[in-house]
Amino acid sequence: MSVSQATLSDRAEGGSGSEFWRGMRSCTPVLLGIVPYALVLGAQAAQKGLSPVEVPLMTGLNFAGGSEFAAIQLWTSPPHVLLIVAITFLVNSRHLLMGAALAPFLRHLPRRKVFPALFLMCDESWALGLADARKRAAAGSGPAFSLPYYAGASIPFYLAWVVFTGLGGALGPVLGDVEAYGFDMAFPAVFLVLLAGMWKGVAAARPWLVSLVVAAIVYLLVPGAWYVAAGALSGLVAAYVLAGEA
Amino acid sequence: MIDQINLLAIVLMASVTYLTRIGGYVMLRNRTLSPRATAVMEAAPGCVLISVIAPDFVSDNPADLLALAITVLAATRLSMLPTVIVGIASAGVLRHLLG
Repeated sequence: MSVSQATLSDRAEGGSGSEFWRGMRSCTPVLLGIVPYALVLGAQAAQKGLSPVEVPLMTGLNFAGGSEFAAIQLWTSPPHVLLIVAITFLVNSRHLLMGAALAPFLRHLPRRKVFPALFLMCDESWALGLADARKRAAAGSGPAFSLPYYAGASIPFYLAWVVFTGLGGALGPVLGDVEAYGFDMAFPAVFLVLLAGMWKGVAAARPWLVSLVVAAIVYLLVPGAWYVAAGALSGLVAAYVLAGEA
Repeated sequence: MIDQINLLAIVLMASVTYLTRIGGYVMLRNRTLSPRATAVMEAAPGCVLISVIAPDFVSDNPADLLALAITVLAATRLSMLPTVIVGIASAGVLRHLLG
């Protein structure tokens, strides 16, 4: 982390200090929103048997909340490593598209800066960085992508994520059973809000319905966590077939 | 404090995640995806998320189903934090009442 911070804070571009602050200001509202979300993830991870060291290790190395929620839901002792890795890949496959969208704005930067910067690319920092780059490109002001701005928007986010998931992991055992009183509903709630954020109309959501129905049927009929893989794959097949019709 | 299989799972998760982060930049910066591949990639995260929570939709507890319906409604209108609060509160209250 210190390496990426040092690289990202590199003062090669003019006024990078003020650019960094500009980035920090724009990510503050999002920061407040993720704190409870991070605490719940940490507490649930602790309940699934991850130690107070393993929780921040996972969130610090992986740093992708959606995949961490999905992985924790499926975590057993010992975990199904291949299932968890496959689900992580599927949840995070959107990063491939996000990186591709960002690529044209990164051409002026050397790879030794781009690779650490991309480690910090999450939905929020990507959205802020891309929106800012488009605005600067339209205004014609210097290199479109401002690395210090992006650093300011992503580093506090990263630190908050690791610290508060770690705190949730450490406090989890003290809080006891987070599933009592309805706290387990936090997970579907988080997932449903993420899905609502991805909503692009009924037609685009048809593969989701296929996934839901297949996953539910497999869950009822087949023991174990196969319902996730079955539901996800049938949804992808549906997306492939439906895209061919269009 | 660190279980070996947990560590293996965490390191492999982190590795595939980092590959997805640099993959788009490395492979796709001079290419465009076919519309079909784009459609599949765009649908993928949603398909996974809904599959993970699918068991909640076929719960045999009426209180849980009702709470889920309320949470779905909340998710279409509210942001993250209020939706989570509505979900937890409705599940807690309904389980108590119908339990």
